[in-house]
Amino acid sequence: MTSTVASARPGTGSDGVLAPYVRRPGRGGAALRARLTPYAYVSPTVVLMIVLILIPVVTVIYYSVMDNVIVNKHPAFVRFDNYTEVLTSPEFRTAIKNTSFFTGASVVAHLVIGLSFAMLLNTELLGPGVKALFRAIYVLPWLFTVAIIAVVWRLLLNPNGIVNYLLSSTGLSDGDIEWLSDPGKALFAVTFINIWAGYPFFMMSLLAGLQGIPGDLYEAAMVDGASGLRRFVHVTLPQLKPIIVAMVVLDILWTTQQFALIWMTTGGGPLDRTEMLSTYTYKWAFSRYEYSIASASAVVILLLSLVLAVFYVRHQKARD
Amino acid sequence: MTAAVGALLLGGFWSGGPALVEAGGGGSLEFQQWWEPELPDGELRALMDQFQEQSGIDVELLSGPYASTKEQVIAGAATGTIPCVVGLDGAWINELAGFGAIADLSAIMGDAGYDDSQLVSQVQVDGATYMIPVVNFIYPMFTNDDLLEQAGVSDVPSTRSEFADAAAAVTELGENSSGWILPLSLETPNGVQNDVMAWVWASGGLMLTDDGQPDLTNDSVRSAIEYIQGLWDAGVIAPGSFTMKEQDKVEEFTNGRVGMMIDSLAHINLIRENNPDLTFSISAVPAEDDYTGERGIPYASWGIGISENCDNKEDAWQLVEFLMSADVNTTLSSLSFGFPGNTESVPDFVEGDELFQAAFDMYQEVNPTNEFVGLPVAEELMRAFGEELQSLLNGDQSVDEMLEGAQERWMEEF
Amino acid sequence: MSVSAVGSRRTLAKAGVLSALIAGALFAAFPVFWMLSSSFKANSEIFEYPPKIITSNFSFGAYTDIITNSTQVRFFINSYVVSLSVTALTLVLAILAGYAFSRYQFPGKNWMSTVIVAVQAIPPITLLIPYFGLIVTLRLYNTYPALILTYAAFTLPYAIIMLTGYFNTLPRELDEAVKLDGGSALTALRRVLVPTALPGIVAVGLYTFMIAWNEYLFALTLTRTEDMRTVPIGIQLLMGQHSYQWNEMMAMSILGSIPVLALFLRFQRYFMAGLTSGAVKV
Repeated sequence: MTSTVASARPGTGSDGVLAPYVRRPGRGGAALRARLTPYAYVSPTVVLMIVLILIPVVTVIYYSVMDNVIVNKHPAFVRFDNYTEVLTSPEFRTAIKNTSFFTGASVVAHLVIGLSFAMLLNTELLGPGVKALFRAIYVLPWLFTVAIIAVVWRLLLNPNGIVNYLLSSTGLSDGDIEWLSDPGKALFAVTFINIWAGYPFFMMSLLAGLQGIPGDLYEAAMVDGASGLRRFVHVTLPQLKPIIVAMVVLDILWTTQQFALIWMTTGGGPLDRTEMLSTYTYKWAFSRYEYSIASASAVVILLLSLVLAVFYVRHQKARD
Repeated sequence: MTAAVGALLLGGFWSGGPALVEAGGGGSLEFQQWWEPELPDGELRALMDQFQEQSGIDVELLSGPYASTKEQVIAGAATGTIPCVVGLDGAWINELAGFGAIADLSAIMGDAGYDDSQLVSQVQVDGATYMIPVVNFIYPMFTNDDLLEQAGVSDVPSTRSEFADAAAAVTELGENSSGWILPLSLETPNGVQNDVMAWVWASGGLMLTDDGQPDLTNDSVRSAIEYIQGLWDAGVIAPGSFTMKEQDKVEEFTNGRVGMMIDSLAHINLIRENNPDLTFSISAVPAEDDYTGERGIPYASWGIGISENCDNKEDAWQLVEFLMSADVNTTLSSLSFGFPGNTESVPDFVEGDELFQAAFDMYQEVNPTNEFVGLPVAEELMRAFGEELQSLLNGDQSVDEMLEGAQERWMEEF
Repeated sequence: MSVSAVGSRRTLAKAGVLSALIAGALFAAFPVFWMLSSSFKANSEIFEYPPKIITSNFSFGAYTDIITNSTQVRFFINSYVVSLSVTALTLVLAILAGYAFSRYQFPGKNWMSTVIVAVQAIPPITLLIPYFGLIVTLRLYNTYPALILTYAAFTLPYAIIMLTGYFNTLPRELDEAVKLDGGSALTALRRVLVPTALPGIVAVGLYTFMIAWNEYLFALTLTRTEDMRTVPIGIQLLMGQHSYQWNEMMAMSILGSIPVLALFLRFQRYFMAGLTSGAVKV
């Protein structure tokens, strides 16, 4: 008979049978230690994060309610004026619109391309050598720093660059497309570059995940006569779900704050077609020297992400 | 509670971090700049060693990428870690002086009894000097003589109509050739200063009033903008303007696809190296057809300043004085292909070289103009103007709307 | 179904997969190929029209310039030291934290997760100045630990989320098996979970290395002297005010990618063949 006292304590051992009648020394200690175990595991992380992340973040929040810091030796408390300034500005709305498109399209494309490549790389139809070669090729976009990616793509998409040249020699176009400077095309061009630069993340994580799916599950499905597509939908996808959810959340957060790629390819232009939340914030800070407003903008972005983060955590909780 | 934390953070963060510069004579200095990678290997170091011999002060060179210099200087200002001697650009001076990050050089020069008549120019805010231009890079017009000849244009254009005709003729040649090239990237909106306002200044116009307030709706600015719009509509401008940067402009010209461009003199050698077969000349930016007055020419500088939190400003001043002295300034200009900030200096590349001689004469006669220097949020002003201009060229607004829009946005910052 | 029909079905499928792989490879590798091609050109040829793949000035000059330049070699060394340290530190901390999040319920777990996730969205550019001030106050300015701790703080959230996800895919039966044999939680972690989640851990490790290797903004701000700076700064230094060293930039970038590619090739066998099949005897 298990006692109610013992079974009410999570993480305790299996010796609950004897619990209520024998008071062994250290018994309370073991339970306490067990309760504290998870905290011990997360404590190094927590300490590092508190010192290095939380303090600057709190500073930024503090800046956002003051009247211009750094530039001004005697900042005054202005409550939410900076937030009003940010939230009512038309540039902010444009930035949100562009960022939503940029992020949405990028994340979806990353997932689709990443999953397709991962599946292709996981095939049993080809030998390990061939697969290794293609794995190495597919991981290439990951290996380069953003500045170089921006430079190379600007070269490729230059009106007199190789892409236009190929298009005009194969007759697909008249070869004069201004990929990055045409107001109608810039956002798509920049999103395409971001898709190229970011899919390896999904691909690698999914590939690792695919390795972890027990072969028995596929065998069982095949025995039941399930086709390839069926197996994919009913075995692969559910197994990969926790990883996919984690990656989508991360990718949304990272893409939202992508700054350097956009800044170095189009600078937020032409006009305001590629103005993102990140470039908007940057300009307030380093071009108009209004750190408080920039901080307010940053906090708004943080709050929007908190919403996403809360959904993610709730989802994880429901799974457990 | 928040106030206490805030005060703690404020106190720690910008009322002076740990002093990173050693104080004391015979001591050492740090000099932060972006010039070292632009100069031939080892030359700037050699100059610093020369300084060390003369004054006993060691100089450590801290070089950073040009594109990030502004952020680094500001971050340094905010945390009190700017090195004693710091390379500056005129566009940042207003703010840096405002937050007390850089020292008042007028006072320092006064204390040191320095005769400032040998300085070509000084950048001031509210009557006090904060930056001294060490080397100036003027922006004349470059013309691709081969292309012009092919297009049947015999003389280098010196008026706006001649320019427009020449540009049209070059564009007619087809095959990717364009008459003119206009970099309007909003990332580093220098194009507004060098390629757009140049037309205003070349005809003696100004974008500010006498007391330094924006005056964008005046006739000179209007005529320049209408002129540029004319060129745009005539299709003589190379494609890709809205996100084109200065480097791209130079590369297009070097590869012989552009008839005329306004560009920094510092690129002459780059063009020669990369395309020895290109025949090109330098001249003043064309003015309005009936203009006979002095023509302004845009310029950019390598400026120098001293940080306010420097412990040994006297030593720092010695380095500045060294760099501004006639001999050293001559060497620096010669190495960087810029024009000296010292009135006595003549860079060596001028002698015996037609192109450079012509340019140097221009520099000494003509008025180097850059109304953006010393303005508040100069870069943002350029960007705002650039955005309005892009909107105009894209057909989204009229010239009046554009000028008024820009004027409004500028007034907000003043 | 006849043997030959199955055989040809298989060949068709193989051809299909191979063509898809090749098409994908073009997409992935073309820009890199262009980078490589540019690194062998003279600077003046980068903007030539029509563009050429191999030019008459083909040379390894850009590469030799970099390799023989001691400052730039130092950049590579610094990048290695920092990136390897960050990867080690982040993996250790994240494995511990991920284990806790995956296997335990405890008060505060939810808000800790939420904060860890959300904190990644703050634009680094706004954090730059307060962060810089913090590093200066901690007297870590211009040191390896400044960069190592900074990057660890940036990559930990990602690593914890991913590792929690990977650990979650491993059934609890694995832990129970160890505990039934008398082992502690730590033993379960060490002996069973880590080896089983190895593909995930390797993926996370590689990505952490990559982030540390390629980061620019904080590397520039938190270092001051050339002996502390890293490869991305080295690349940006080639983008001058008056001239760009295009071919050297491309060459340095290629050289910079080789270590990461090497690491990837070395560790990629952990992505082959599922390691959990058969681990749990049902």
